[in-house]
Amino acid sequence: MTTKNGRRRVVVTGHGVVTPVGNDVPTFWSALKQGKCGIGQIQSFPTNELYITIAGEVKDFEPKERLPSKQFHYADRYSQFAGAAAKEAVEQSGMTTPLADEESYRAASIIGSGIGGLTTLELSYKALFQDHKRATHPLTLLKSIGSSAAAHVSIEYGIKGPCFGVVSACSTATHAIGLVYRMIREGLIDLGLAGASEASLAYGSTRAWQAMRVLSPDAILPFSKNRNGTVLAEGGGVMMLEELEHAKARGANILAELVGYGMTADAADMVNPSIDGASTAMQMALEDAGLSPGDIDYLNAHGTATTVNDVNETRAIKRVFGKAANDISISSTKSMHGHCLGGGGGIEASATIMAMKENIAPPTIGLDEPDPECDLDYTPKVGKAREITYAMSNSFAFGGLNAVLLFGPDPS
Amino acid sequence: MDDTAKKIIEILKKNMKEPSDDIGLATPLADLDIESLDLAVIVFDIEDTFGIEIPYNANEEVEDFATVGSVVDKVKSIIAETSSATA
Repeated sequence: MTTKNGRRRVVVTGHGVVTPVGNDVPTFWSALKQGKCGIGQIQSFPTNELYITIAGEVKDFEPKERLPSKQFHYADRYSQFAGAAAKEAVEQSGMTTPLADEESYRAASIIGSGIGGLTTLELSYKALFQDHKRATHPLTLLKSIGSSAAAHVSIEYGIKGPCFGVVSACSTATHAIGLVYRMIREGLIDLGLAGASEASLAYGSTRAWQAMRVLSPDAILPFSKNRNGTVLAEGGGVMMLEELEHAKARGANILAELVGYGMTADAADMVNPSIDGASTAMQMALEDAGLSPGDIDYLNAHGTATTVNDVNETRAIKRVFGKAANDISISSTKSMHGHCLGGGGGIEASATIMAMKENIAPPTIGLDEPDPECDLDYTPKVGKAREITYAMSNSFAFGGLNAVLLFGPDPS
Repeated sequence: MDDTAKKIIEILKKNMKEPSDDIGLATPLADLDIESLDLAVIVFDIEDTFGIEIPYNANEEVEDFATVGSVVDKVKSIIAETSSATA
């Protein structure tokens, strides 16, 4: 079926990640299945004046090895993560790049970030105000802008259609993927790279997070009775989305279909989430896909391990799915890779696709004792083998910005 | 009421939408219409005013933040600890 209810269908033909538990999809997925934790003592800057000293850092990431193009060597780490994730997605998709002229204007590069090149800015200001340097590095501006990752990726692959960054804090990647999905569906483009990345672990930004009082000093324990906050992390996730016939015509290997997308705003509070906003976004994704609550087998939760999110998300899931909520395998893979902020939704969408491909729900590690108010099946401690045909991925951000993706099997 | 308590009440009032004049040591923080983000700002303000660090996590229910008086006691004990550590 070329179209569903007369509309163009969108499939995933490649995906890539850089995460604290692995710098490509195979390593990342193998870590999730094993329940490996990527959180540890911060190595990249001194923490002696902080009381938050842990994070999910990306390890052994060598930009020059992962990204042969010189343009990436001078880019901010956030753009390098996006570049590496995009490269993995493009290579898996088997797409010939740079794109041919007629195709290049029908392709998008929508790569967001919660905050862009924050570390570049922070170090520049340190040089200027503390070390009294005469000037900042000439590339400071290009490195820091929140659209640089999208631009670098477009240059790398000859993408000449829509190209810009998206910003919605911890929902960024999910919004980017949803946006490209809608652009393809509505006929504006035929393919696109979509996702986000974040590399904002630095002394000043950690201090800023610390001041918000939402971080845990010792562990990220989603849905646990003992949870006491989230843990910052870095990384990126990018997908190659394609119109179904476009993918079939070039004999691409189709990993999944993106069947539904929902987005809402709470319009209520900067930090306290609402059940209405979260549940309506999930409901919209279901309706967009024409599916019933009972069709969903796996749900990758936002699951930040803050007191408010995990209870609110549980209530929202129950409102949407009713009794069927008890039959869904839910997990917060943040328990392993930490909260990758803007990049999180892209990384978690990758986990969701792998869960469908291998019929394994990855675990929520560290969940020894669930919060009595969080009483669904969060796949505690070990992953679970089960048939996964349809799977959902939730992202809920500061400001009450909600985005939900719904994936299904290869339709061809 | 001593200076520390007066300063803390001033900080609370500064961060309230409709500051009331009858805030005493026994007033529960819950009665002051202070939300979690307000509390982070208030704690920051107190830390800045007294030059101390208060280990507060919005994810945990802490008795130290039950009433105005318990905040004052907590601040005093941290001031005492800080000055004995630097003495």
